[in-house]
Amino acid sequence: MWLRNIYLKSLRDYRIGILGWGIGMGLVVMSPMASVASLVSTPQARAELVGLAQQFAWNAAAIAVDTIGGYAMFKIGVFVFLIAVWPLLAAGRALRGEEERGSMDVLLSAPRSRARVAIEKIAAIWTALFAMGLLIGLLTYAGGQAFQGEFGLGDALLYGLDIALVCAVFAGITLVLSQFMIEGAAGWGGGLLVIFIVLDMVHRVFPDAENISRLSPIYYFNLSKPLVPSYGTNVGALLVLFVLAAGLCAWSVWLFARRDIGATAQLPRVLRLPSRAAGRGDALPVGDWSLRSVYLRAIANLVTPTLWWSLLVAGLAAWLVVTVQQIGKQLEELIAQSPVMVQFLQTVGGTGASMNATFLSAMFQTLPILLMAFVVTQVNGWAADEENGRLDMILASPQSRRAVVLGRFAALSTAAIFIGLAALGATVLASRVTGVALDDANVAAASLGAIPLGLLIGAVGYLGAGWLRSAADTGLLSFLLLAWFFITFFGRDLGWPDSALRLSAFYYYGNPLLKGLETANVVGLLAVAAVALTVGVLRFTRKDIAV
Amino acid sequence: MGAMIEVQGLTKSYGKNRGIIDVSFAVQEGEVFGFLGPNGAGKTTTIRILMALLRADGGTARIAGLDCWDSSIDIKKIVGYVPGEPALDPNLTGGQILEYFANLRGGVDRAYQAQLIKRLDLDTRKKFRQYSSGNKRKVVLIQAFQHRPKLLILDEPTNGLDPINQQEFDALVREVRADGNTVLLSSHVLSEVEKTCTRVGIIREGRIVRIGGLAELKDIKRYEITIAFADAVPANAFATLPGVSDVETLNNGHAVRLAMQGAADAVVKQAARYNVLSLTSYEPSLEDVFLRYYEGDAGKASKEASHVA
Repeated sequence: MWLRNIYLKSLRDYRIGILGWGIGMGLVVMSPMASVASLVSTPQARAELVGLAQQFAWNAAAIAVDTIGGYAMFKIGVFVFLIAVWPLLAAGRALRGEEERGSMDVLLSAPRSRARVAIEKIAAIWTALFAMGLLIGLLTYAGGQAFQGEFGLGDALLYGLDIALVCAVFAGITLVLSQFMIEGAAGWGGGLLVIFIVLDMVHRVFPDAENISRLSPIYYFNLSKPLVPSYGTNVGALLVLFVLAAGLCAWSVWLFARRDIGATAQLPRVLRLPSRAAGRGDALPVGDWSLRSVYLRAIANLVTPTLWWSLLVAGLAAWLVVTVQQIGKQLEELIAQSPVMVQFLQTVGGTGASMNATFLSAMFQTLPILLMAFVVTQVNGWAADEENGRLDMILASPQSRRAVVLGRFAALSTAAIFIGLAALGATVLASRVTGVALDDANVAAASLGAIPLGLLIGAVGYLGAGWLRSAADTGLLSFLLLAWFFITFFGRDLGWPDSALRLSAFYYYGNPLLKGLETANVVGLLAVAAVALTVGVLRFTRKDIAV
Repeated sequence: MGAMIEVQGLTKSYGKNRGIIDVSFAVQEGEVFGFLGPNGAGKTTTIRILMALLRADGGTARIAGLDCWDSSIDIKKIVGYVPGEPALDPNLTGGQILEYFANLRGGVDRAYQAQLIKRLDLDTRKKFRQYSSGNKRKVVLIQAFQHRPKLLILDEPTNGLDPINQQEFDALVREVRADGNTVLLSSHVLSEVEKTCTRVGIIREGRIVRIGGLAELKDIKRYEITIAFADAVPANAFATLPGVSDVETLNNGHAVRLAMQGAADAVVKQAARYNVLSLTSYEPSLEDVFLRYYEGDAGKASKEASHVA
């Protein structure tokens, strides 16, 4: 049945993603609901929660945060867009991936129009997204039932639909981008996702900036709060998302039907890069630094993604400092009146003399997540290179397997260190410009302290690549990242003991912005990473390549 | 001169799937050895074990007296390798790929490298992803030859090359041999092996079925004779003759096609008893020998296909 047509075959390929992302995100939405009762146990606690939430409005609009649905939506905030990773990757591979593998030629040799092929593939992505939305909606409803939420099944399903539609928009964006570039559409789509998230944040930090936020699809996603019955669903916003997603997908089909297979659609003349003059036909790039070793070649391959991720991480770090500067005064007033709020902030961000630093420390927890996400994307490249036979010829040269694998890991480590340094530079610069007082040593600890976590996930990825194919290895790392995220950010809400919280690598990041780095934790992380890498290297030196 | 490659009892399986079983052969220094077999016979598995990309389950594989797994780095210093399916960074140009491998390997003769680029007519400015399959093959061939290795291990090296470049490749192999270097060339294109190889090993379903010189292989080849007659003749007039097999009557008995091994004297004398219009003998090619080894259920169909070609 599943091989009857392109639509069903594509849907078959997505079945694990549907279950994994649908159930995973559903559980993420459910988990904060467990702690609402304890957070609003007294009228004072309820008032303080509502007041505190206003200070985090840059993350998510604080609407009815003292209700089950409102708190869940607020607590998850921008992290709900983690699920957009799936449509970005799926849409990036849907048409362009088939072309790169050479299978599109065969597919198009069947008596089907190009538009039909594209539409069937896009329909499979949409179906997968709606299936994920359905699973999220059902689990959200189950959570609401378990913790006496005020919303019904219809509301929960509308929440799932809202998520599915905003994901469809990013799938559409990536599909269009993939018509204009041979590779990297998913990365560009991810970059746009971050930009749109920030654009949406703008109106919640700067007054009278709503028109800027209207440019972001995220804005229309956030106009609906189906889990808050008193706020409800904005049907118009849902329609905007639907029309936007459908329009982008239709544009990508139109472009795909008209361009050469394996080539890119022509950009408008003003956007085209000037063509470079061709060199002499027999001129070889003798002396090119990037061709001198496996390490340098890997560095060259990492330059572009590292720069983009550095921009993202450094930009986020600077943005957090600017946000603190914007809301600092209100925050201090609020905190002066609320010991419970101080306790809440300190639970997440740690204790310190400066409330700015405490608040910022809580927000800086996102830095290691982003750095680890970067590493996960690059580990995928290592596993895929072996799978695609790209290591065969390198290993046929007089390079030891150990030198090859360590050269690649060293390049990844260099990139992770660069991103950490970029975050450090941006944070210091932003604190100087805005006047937010921060301890430079602790800023360095917070920025660079994320690096051991990046190395750890990278080493685990290299270990996994010894046995697993690239998709399975990336899936394992994504699961690990999600599990650690879940334990750290929801474990406390769920009242888990410290021994359970220690299972997350984020636990060992600590609160470096306030306390500096804890040497034992850093050494521990590096030791585990070293063991994982050693076993991974040993495995690689003994295994059959690309079998 | 001693053996450059020595393979003894080499065995490799992929779980429940067959790889190669008890493969043994030797390639002498200065020899061009053809390694023949149909798809899935085990040629690439054997070669990947020689290149230490796979680890053998049993047996030994040695190059220049060194164990292929334990001394792989020393071995690779003297080997040039062309994989069956070249996979390289698609974003590098041909020139960048050649430079990269020149750096990884060292000892590249720049003048020879430039000569190879010119002889194979490669545009080194294009990205690997933009090359046709033939041009991708040229890049891989040049990187294998450019450091003048003592041993070339070539896995179906001419796939995708046009006839002119195939001729150039044949010339390169002959030059390498003339310099005293060794070549292991896997192929299922027998004419390619016939042109360049001195000895041939045939592998089938993971086992070596024959090793011998080209001349020796030709001795066991059959050839075909087609005789056209003015009148219909009975097929059994030829079927019982010594050395004759596979007799077929064509054109309602007005022609006979038969396979012949050994002297044709009896067939000619038998044909002379009828009114012969024409007699055509097909010189056996190595393809025919090859097909004979793989005649199974599909053997007849394969044979007919070879005639069409």
